Amino acid sequence: MDLQRLEGILSRYACQPADLIPVLQDIQDSYNYLPKDELKVVAERLHLPLAQVFSVATFFTMFSLVPKGKHVCKVCVGTTCHLKGGQRLAESLSNRLGVDIGYTTKDMNFTLETVACLGSCAQAPVMMIDDTYYARVTVDKVPKILKKYQ
Amino acid sequence: MVNLTIDGKAIQAEEGSTILQAAQAHGMRIPFLCYHPAIKAIGSCRICVVEVKPGPPRPQPACTTKVAEGMEVVTNSEKLQDIRRELVKFMLINHPLDCPWCDKGGECELQNLTHELGIAEVDYEAVRKPINNDFDSKLIERYNTRCVTCGRCVRVCKERVGASAINFENRAYFTDLGSGQVPLNCEFCGTCIEVCPVGALINKLFKYGARAWEMTATPAICQFCGGGCDYEVHVKDGQVKRVRRDEGNPLLCVRGRFGFGVISSDQRLKAPLIKKGGQLVEVSWDEALDFAAQGLMQVMAKGGPSAIYGIGSPRATNESNYVFQKFFRVVLGTNQIDNPGRYNYWRAVEGMAQVFGWPEIDGLNPEVLKYAKPFHSTLTLSEEAKGKGFPFVMGQTAKLKEADAVLVIGADVTPEMPPYGWALMEALQKEDFRLIVANPRKTKYDRYAHKKLRYRPGTERALVLGLMAAMVAANPDLAPQLPAEGWAACKEILQGVSLDDIAKQTGVAVADLQAAAATLLQAQAPAIIFGNDLLAQANGKENVVAVANLFLLIGQPANAGSGLYPIAEKNNTHGVCDVGVVPNLLPGYQPLAAGEKFGKIWNKVPSTIPGLTLDEALTRLENNAVNAPQAFYILGGDMIRQLPNSQRIRSILQKARFIVYQGAFMTEVAKLADVILPVGVHAEVNGTYTNTDGRLGQTRAAVSANGVRPGWQIITALSQKLDQPLEYASAEDIFKEMVSLMPIYVGLQPGYRWPCPDLKADIKGTFVPFSVEPEALGEGDFTLIVGKTMGHSGSFTTFAAGPMIVNGTQTLQINAEDAGKLGVAAGDTVTVSSAQGRIAVPVAVNDDLPAGVVFLADHFAEPLANSLTSNSNLCRVNIQKG
Repeated sequence: MDLQRLEGILSRYACQPADLIPVLQDIQDSYNYLPKDELKVVAERLHLPLAQVFSVATFFTMFSLVPKGKHVCKVCVGTTCHLKGGQRLAESLSNRLGVDIGYTTKDMNFTLETVACLGSCAQAPVMMIDDTYYARVTVDKVPKILKKYQ
Repeated sequence: MVNLTIDGKAIQAEEGSTILQAAQAHGMRIPFLCYHPAIKAIGSCRICVVEVKPGPPRPQPACTTKVAEGMEVVTNSEKLQDIRRELVKFMLINHPLDCPWCDKGGECELQNLTHELGIAEVDYEAVRKPINNDFDSKLIERYNTRCVTCGRCVRVCKERVGASAINFENRAYFTDLGSGQVPLNCEFCGTCIEVCPVGALINKLFKYGARAWEMTATPAICQFCGGGCDYEVHVKDGQVKRVRRDEGNPLLCVRGRFGFGVISSDQRLKAPLIKKGGQLVEVSWDEALDFAAQGLMQVMAKGGPSAIYGIGSPRATNESNYVFQKFFRVVLGTNQIDNPGRYNYWRAVEGMAQVFGWPEIDGLNPEVLKYAKPFHSTLTLSEEAKGKGFPFVMGQTAKLKEADAVLVIGADVTPEMPPYGWALMEALQKEDFRLIVANPRKTKYDRYAHKKLRYRPGTERALVLGLMAAMVAANPDLAPQLPAEGWAACKEILQGVSLDDIAKQTGVAVADLQAAAATLLQAQAPAIIFGNDLLAQANGKENVVAVANLFLLIGQPANAGSGLYPIAEKNNTHGVCDVGVVPNLLPGYQPLAAGEKFGKIWNKVPSTIPGLTLDEALTRLENNAVNAPQAFYILGGDMIRQLPNSQRIRSILQKARFIVYQGAFMTEVAKLADVILPVGVHAEVNGTYTNTDGRLGQTRAAVSANGVRPGWQIITALSQKLDQPLEYASAEDIFKEMVSLMPIYVGLQPGYRWPCPDLKADIKGTFVPFSVEPEALGEGDFTLIVGKTMGHSGSFTTFAAGPMIVNGTQTLQINAEDAGKLGVAAGDTVTVSSAQGRIAVPVAVNDDLPAGVVFLADHFAEPLANSLTSNSNLCRVNIQKG
């Protein structure tokens, strides 16, 4: 366990129970996932029961207990995107990356996820890689987009 | 009261109650699932929805909607039934069809709801939930697919138990129960199993044991700690399969819920044994009793009756203990009796009596009731009856939650007395409640404490003095609320106390002392809980005097919850003291001089010469003193394990010419005995116990004793062999005689406590000076605390499967830093040595202990923690690797 890295994160907080979500967010950003051993330390330092830490860590989709890829690709399958082919887009990405939805490629480069709405229905179908939006993505645009991250 | 109608029936309900409570109070059924009477209602399952007029146009949950004047409630319309049916169908979509082998079958609330709502098929489909069962945790199994996510277990664990060991993981349809993705590491109280409406949580000891309808339930009293919880034992084919508590209060601890294995343990003594040629051999009851009587008579012939010493049992019933002391006082004619509480709880009794006086009751009606119900007192009170003495300042568990400030000192509440812990959890729900935990170690309630005082082991009295001095310093006009003598002199002493010196001695900062003192001073209903860590010290009595002085200063026993809460170590520790198994007092704490009254019933006036205390008796035999006792009659227990300095106790007992051991297990003491008389335990006998509150609990024989006998029957049989028969038909018979002689038990009946609440309390106290000299602990690098650990009670629980599964071996608890310095890791063996002895023991790294302090539990036979101690639960030790 990289205790120094974790201490660095914890040192930014007063370590009150209410700091749990921000601490977990920082760990997720830094590690790309929430390692279980680190969560045990977090529980102890924030004076929280371990079960509660895991309850929060498993509730939010922004957290993951398994390592995520370097890039997270979120395909919108909300109502509008669904009508405009969001599902087909997700399947195409799945085929291209060779990974099921919700999983990470073997080279740990991509994690493919679907989300319920990205709030840009006017530009459907939408997808997001890390913090970048891609609007009106058609299946044939996919290779070009992915290339930027490979 | 509020008037409303439910399904057209006009009823009255208490203001602030919910529709569900009002309906239940009037025998009307509203189905529910997530509601449980022991926890706060959250209204999440929506099964209990009802239509309310006036009110919102949609159905409202009955468990969270309060009653209002003129409200009209419909609980059973077609629309409501439809809603319930749909909701239950959702739960059934992928609910596994393993009812045939699910332990919950027959008492499953989901099964019953489905049946009640007549759901014959489920017309929904969804993906299957991944199976995520937990078979690895000890004692408790978890089946995620059976879970209906009502959250009862999560809430009871958080709200009532205070462990927060389980919680929901994931969300929505995939919500599962989890314990941090590791096997459960909790108190294993099993309350979660008890509140689960379905079979998602399963008791491993009960699994496949019986179907719900095959068992008969018998009320009994838990046999372990001084809490004396009332529960039911469920018996099938003469075997106890499980124990349960009632719906409204499902809380039990790991010992209570999983410790019933003591009854059927294969280590139980099953037949009488006598020593022949150095070997214990099985014989008939008649032969064993003859042998015991002869042995005792031989000793008596040489040394007189006082050569025989009796040691009562804090686990035996009141009746057995009463007959035991009568056997000594009447049959043998000596006061040579005591009980092991001498080294623990009796110190609390004496300390409190020094400050508040011995109990006395005036104004009993002279006539004794001829006919009283079984186990009801035959004495009655006159109008102006009055009582005084320490019992009137003792608190009761049921009221503890009403206290507004609690000081826990020298006690690890959960292992020692779980009911106090549950009461603290209830008290903590109040915003203005303040909890102060003073202990050298970090204990469970540190998590909830508003103030923690981490003092050095053995400096309890200095800490109490510091608290009192800080109070006087903060308020020079301070005076006790209770009538008290000696305040002026005490105040002068307190004004001369330097808080800096106290801080130096105890290691508690002055500011912390002052803050704690201020909290206690402001409280209207302060309570003090104290237990083994403080009582088991050589100066335990002095410690209690200090605590009682503090209570005399701040206590307001007229306010509910305010009181002294000493922790009685075992289920009848309080009772064995009450019924006179002490050398200087007759039953009911009456002086030996009051023997005339007893003579009328006993046909013999007991001797007025007090007997020796247990420690005096042992010391005399050790020193071969002239009038040292030569024979022992011991009711159960394991003094070698439980009393300080095991080797000393063992060598003293080896000196005895004759030992009669009347117990349930082959303990270290039993191995030294000349006669072993096997005795029945709680679910095998009828009788009563008196718990730490003074509450009387009645236990009933639920299973056959299989050849062993109730304690009192053995004693009376022995009295026959000695040609002075004590004759009783039943435990009820003994109780009737006993209470007629015990004014303190006036008005007592099962479920009630003494002193009788109708008595006018005349509380007075005297400030008694106490020294703050720290305990002499000997030499060594570490301070060892020998104490109680989770899941065990005396040596008794080490014979039961449940507690041993959770906590089965002795370990030396040491903090990580100290372990690092010694170069040892968890599991490594170390040698711990003191002036008294040495033991090899594996290490458990535990940061709850401060630097320089280590902990051992006194429950285990191997290695014996008490082989290190000398006369206290504290001693200095050296630790070496290997």
